[in-house]
Amino acid sequence: MPYVLNTKKEIKELLREIGVNSVDELYEQLPARLKFGAPLDLPHGFSEHQVRKRVKALSNKNVSLEEVNSFLGAGCYDHYIPSAFSFLLNQSQFLTAYTSYQAESSQGILQAIYEYQSYICFLTGTDISNASLFDGASSFAEAVLMSLRIKRKKKVIVSEAIHPEYRETLKTYLSGFDFDIKEATCNKEGFVDQEWLNKNIDEEVGCFAFSSPNFFGLIEDGVKLSSLVKEKGVLTVMVTNPFSLAIFKDPAALGVDIVCGDGQVLGGNVSLGGPSFGFLAAKERYLRQMPGRIVGKTIDLLGTVAYCLTLQTREQHIRREKATSNICSNQALNAIGAAIYLSLLGKEGFRDMALYSFNLAQYLYQRLGEIKGVNLKYGNRVFNEFVWEVKDAKELINKLYKKKIIAGLYLGDKYPRMDNCILSCCTEKKSKEDIDDFIEEIKENMD
Amino acid sequence: MDKKLIFEKGSEGRKNSYVKKPSFDIVEPNQIIPEKFLRQDLPLPSLGEFEVVRHYTNLANLNFSLDANFYPLGSCTMKYNPKVNEELASLDGFIKLHPYQREDTIQGALELIYSLEDILCEITGMKKFTFQASSGAQGEFIGMAIIKKYHDSKGSRRSKVIVPDSSHGTNPATAALCGYDVVVVDSNDKGLVDLDKLAKLVDDDTAAIMLTNPNTLGLFEENICQISELIHKKGGLLYYDGANFNPLLGITNPVLMGFDVMHLNFHKTFSTPHGCGGPGAGAVGVVPELVDFLPIPVVAKKNNKFYFDYKIKHTIGRVRSFYGNFSVLIKAYVYLLMLGKEGLLRVAQNSVINANYIKEKLKGHYSLAYNSRCMHEVVFSCDKQKEKGVSALDISKRLLDYKIHPPTMYFPLIVKEALMVEPTETESKDTLDYFIKVMIEIDKEINQNPDKLKNSPHTMPVKRVNEVAAARFPNLKYTYEK
Repeated sequence: MPYVLNTKKEIKELLREIGVNSVDELYEQLPARLKFGAPLDLPHGFSEHQVRKRVKALSNKNVSLEEVNSFLGAGCYDHYIPSAFSFLLNQSQFLTAYTSYQAESSQGILQAIYEYQSYICFLTGTDISNASLFDGASSFAEAVLMSLRIKRKKKVIVSEAIHPEYRETLKTYLSGFDFDIKEATCNKEGFVDQEWLNKNIDEEVGCFAFSSPNFFGLIEDGVKLSSLVKEKGVLTVMVTNPFSLAIFKDPAALGVDIVCGDGQVLGGNVSLGGPSFGFLAAKERYLRQMPGRIVGKTIDLLGTVAYCLTLQTREQHIRREKATSNICSNQALNAIGAAIYLSLLGKEGFRDMALYSFNLAQYLYQRLGEIKGVNLKYGNRVFNEFVWEVKDAKELINKLYKKKIIAGLYLGDKYPRMDNCILSCCTEKKSKEDIDDFIEEIKENMD
Repeated sequence: MDKKLIFEKGSEGRKNSYVKKPSFDIVEPNQIIPEKFLRQDLPLPSLGEFEVVRHYTNLANLNFSLDANFYPLGSCTMKYNPKVNEELASLDGFIKLHPYQREDTIQGALELIYSLEDILCEITGMKKFTFQASSGAQGEFIGMAIIKKYHDSKGSRRSKVIVPDSSHGTNPATAALCGYDVVVVDSNDKGLVDLDKLAKLVDDDTAAIMLTNPNTLGLFEENICQISELIHKKGGLLYYDGANFNPLLGITNPVLMGFDVMHLNFHKTFSTPHGCGGPGAGAVGVVPELVDFLPIPVVAKKNNKFYFDYKIKHTIGRVRSFYGNFSVLIKAYVYLLMLGKEGLLRVAQNSVINANYIKEKLKGHYSLAYNSRCMHEVVFSCDKQKEKGVSALDISKRLLDYKIHPPTMYFPLIVKEALMVEPTETESKDTLDYFIKVMIEIDKEINQNPDKLKNSPHTMPVKRVNEVAAARFPNLKYTYEK
């Protein structure tokens, strides 16, 4: 039997020491009517060899991104991950360690998470970061809840150009209260409509949330948006792609109060969308309202530098129903991964990859624009993805797939008015040739 | 020891060669994008791969880990994390799948999730599962949101959720997150839910009770059938926090006990690694009446094809982007295939045997919170030791010197100076004996040299960490020197 070390002989011995004759006696306090009369209707255990065969066969039924020319992004991005990355992250001493409640035996974890928090602060320009949340969508929901707690208000305005799945998640997270969510419409250029926003912010609104890059790939005018709402005493929450921050102005410099998003781009595989991690960063004055674990730097008995989990009086294991969130387990390993990833890439490497993604996306944008029948929906103030429009988009996507090209995400399902629109993305893993092939196939299929 | 942060290492201009420049003339962003949108300064270190490898290898070496140390952490079920799980979960055919790929290109992944669901339904008696939850707490959130929506759909506005005083902190926190008022029911002198007190609390305003069984004292709630009858009679529902399900695998299930919604923690019961605190995964299961309330999407099968089903009549909606922590699901699936039906039962039985063995061997030295048959974990109180001036914290820190991770401390809250011990089934008698020997040794040290405990640990990379100072003067990030 796998994974149980006690032998029959040892079990006998253990039972004798306990003072019972059989294992069944240990379950005597269970009412008889609760106990199964028969074994579970499951197969016998398989050998490791059999399991490997079986599970490998399942994986072989899938088509991995390595086998196709994919332009999918939309919240999950296929960036290059150095070989050293998984060696470092999957060491037993990270992989199989528990949450670092015992600081003295977890200094490596705690320092790595302190470095993670620092990295998030450097990228976002903010003062404080927590030690990670589940994913971008739930960190967005937590960010909005946090802002409503700070402002003691019940209404939030969210841009409709925030990832649709993030907005759906927010709805679920807010459903327990009589909170009011209003969606800010976008203008023809794909940006938040400032006029609409100006008109719709009233004294009940506690928070305005937008995304930049937004779901259409566009870089919003964050300075304008946050100053517009700040005048009315409203907090701004910004969802962002941390990779874009290698090039674009940091959210704090834009005047944003709380920054959140998904950290999958920082070392995570696409992995069918999970696990990744959510990050949440903010101005220092909001520290006490921050959800989730936080690591702090301190000293030990002798005055030596040491790290520990801190400000735990915000958390569920202490505050119970008065906690800032119900979160316990987070995505610590992925957060440590982000620190390792950014360290491996370094300042230049990280910016280079962002720059290449940016250039490849611009190249694709330009090449698509040359095709008759293709309409570039919005401008090119983008990081690595953008929207284009073509007749019978859905059909074109299918045709291209026959050539092993994934054109991007069809947007009609998420935005009914965009029923001929496709969102396409380039990371640094794309080559000029990948894009040229894509363009040629589009042309061929449009004739 | 080198205590430098990664930001204090490296050298300007140092870099690695991971990706190639595109084969056309690239431009700087300011040639396309107005300067006001661009950042001027990127305050990151410049490092070579080798120094990064050394840095994080050295950090890793400062930690305790399950592969190296015994972790008798109550309610955390730190069982061995099989290596085959890791290998299979990292296959290209799994980790290189984009969540928005066509469904016909992820059939193997969907089949895996579907098969995993089948196994869990058999184990728990539940009708259907969702795998959206990234952790137990998020599973609780899904479950309680389902309960809320269920009552709403019946036109019944209920405001109260009951939790025992021994419950996990996530239970009341989750109920509050769902907009409920939390009402606490006391435990009786046996450490079980006090039935009389519960009867007085349950009324038409009660939405649900959240329970773990065995509870956090490691005791089986023997009156669970009466409890469920009491709650159901008033139209309330029962939420099963599956954190402690390990000892009941193949013995009984939550449906027989009367529960309506439950979650399982894959990073506890199903051997997926804890990764310093995540990623975990939670599966949330429901009885037939609640299937229509599950979050979207769920995996379904039609004409031998697997697909994501978004058409769920009363769905609570989404709780995250995409579909859950997929690679964690793979690990749990592999584990369940390896164990099979007999293996699952053996897991449960040995988890109970190991806990009871520790209980018997240590009860003469440490007070038992409750002296009745325990399941997979046993809670001691260090009250006698505390009278001599040594706390549960001191004992815990001293354990580190013996290379043992301390038990869960000061929990459940109703036990003074609590140490909650869960050895799990994957530990050998040798390891248990070592733990027992050490615990007895520490108890002796209290008489001989209490200061040795109060100043412990002595052999860790740092001495006892000043957590009070950390909270009083928060230093949460590195600051570059100007």
